[in-house]
Amino acid sequence: MDDRRRRFEVLVLPHLDAAHRFARWLSHSSIDADDILQEAILRAFRGFDGLRGSDAKAWLLTIVRNCHFTALEQQRRRAQVPLPHENDAQDGRALVATTPDPEITSMRRDEERTLDRLMAALPQEQREILVLREIEEMDYREIAAVINIPIGTVMSRLARARAALKARWLKESAGEPHAVR
Amino acid sequence: MPCAESLRVQAYFDGELDAIGAAEIERHCETCAECRELLRDLELLRTALRQDLTYAATPPALRDRIMRALDQESAASGARAVPKRFADWRSRPFWKGAFSAVGATAIAASLAFFLLAPPLSDPLLSDLVSAHVRSLMPDHLIDVASTDKHTVKPWFAGHTDVSPVVADFADQGYRLIGGRADYLDHQRAAVVVYQHGSHVINVFSWATARSGRPRAITRNGYHLSFWSAGNLEYCAVSDTGWDELDGLVRLLQALDAQDKRG
Repeated sequence: MDDRRRRFEVLVLPHLDAAHRFARWLSHSSIDADDILQEAILRAFRGFDGLRGSDAKAWLLTIVRNCHFTALEQQRRRAQVPLPHENDAQDGRALVATTPDPEITSMRRDEERTLDRLMAALPQEQREILVLREIEEMDYREIAAVINIPIGTVMSRLARARAALKARWLKESAGEPHAVR
Repeated sequence: MPCAESLRVQAYFDGELDAIGAAEIERHCETCAECRELLRDLELLRTALRQDLTYAATPPALRDRIMRALDQESAASGARAVPKRFADWRSRPFWKGAFSAVGATAIAASLAFFLLAPPLSDPLLSDLVSAHVRSLMPDHLIDVASTDKHTVKPWFAGHTDVSPVVADFADQGYRLIGGRADYLDHQRAAVVVYQHGSHVINVFSWATARSGRPRAITRNGYHLSFWSAGNLEYCAVSDTGWDELDGLVRLLQALDAQDKRG
């Protein structure tokens, strides 16, 4: 194995799980997260010489995100008909129940869990910022780099996302008293 | 209309404020019921997200598939030049943002970091990060798997040169999942392994007479937090946020202090 490949395995591949989680949450039902992940890792490997300093994780997640949007765009163009936009789905159950993707079907058992379902129903831009902050535990500066937005926007978007999730959570617990712990 | 301080309260919660800002927000919350409630909500939501969300590790089959694709790519890339497309990832948004106030602050902050940070030649730092990364490979994480400190602590006595503090902090979000022996700084170090949400935190400990190591440093996306207690040096390593890592460090320090009093 050459030196470059070895350095890649030491610096970047430890973040594979984070990239995988991020790809799953980003694409959710819209596109194959495994393909996104593979494409992202290959792109990362090709562009590896551009990585400097200690931001390997933020760098990799940025590439995952770019791959996701590229693939989404290609899919939309191929279909000629725009996919139903996630933001239009007001109800998590509606969104999850109509996905035909077999991978998602197998995930669905887990998604009986309220929070998974509520997160899935959030608009993509709110979901991704919550994942980066609460699951990947990145700070505002890192999040700003991954999404390529100013830190001020990170703050306001994060506040909106948290408020939205809380509102859905409250609504859920009001409608189905047993659904929430 | 939400309180004008709500964004700063959120930033306080996320550990993004400096000491003075944090003190201001704490004072503000004493008199603002709305912001106190906001803090409670933020905490509830975070706890729920970290405990209840489904975390899938990369399935082995997918990992294999990606490694095979990388093999092909490595073989092919020997023959041709690397595309420049992604090589400028860092410079573009960085310079674009450099003219905004935020960008300027970021530059100042990173300059300060480089100026204040001690030289990074210490091979121990690399060893710690490597040991942490190695531990994340399948079957390398834990030698003794237990959530019971009464199992983990005695195990160290037979397998390492030190006896660190061990406890399960599941209620605070740091689940004890086991222990491991590792070779570090020319001795058998003890590693206590905690899980925090989807992240693994390795807490290394070894006997030392040295001091003057940086208290906190980031290497390759991993945060390292050092402290010492008695004749032991500790280092917690993870890719969690600083806030989350410091949370565990504080718990362990408090426990150490308690043990000494008892």
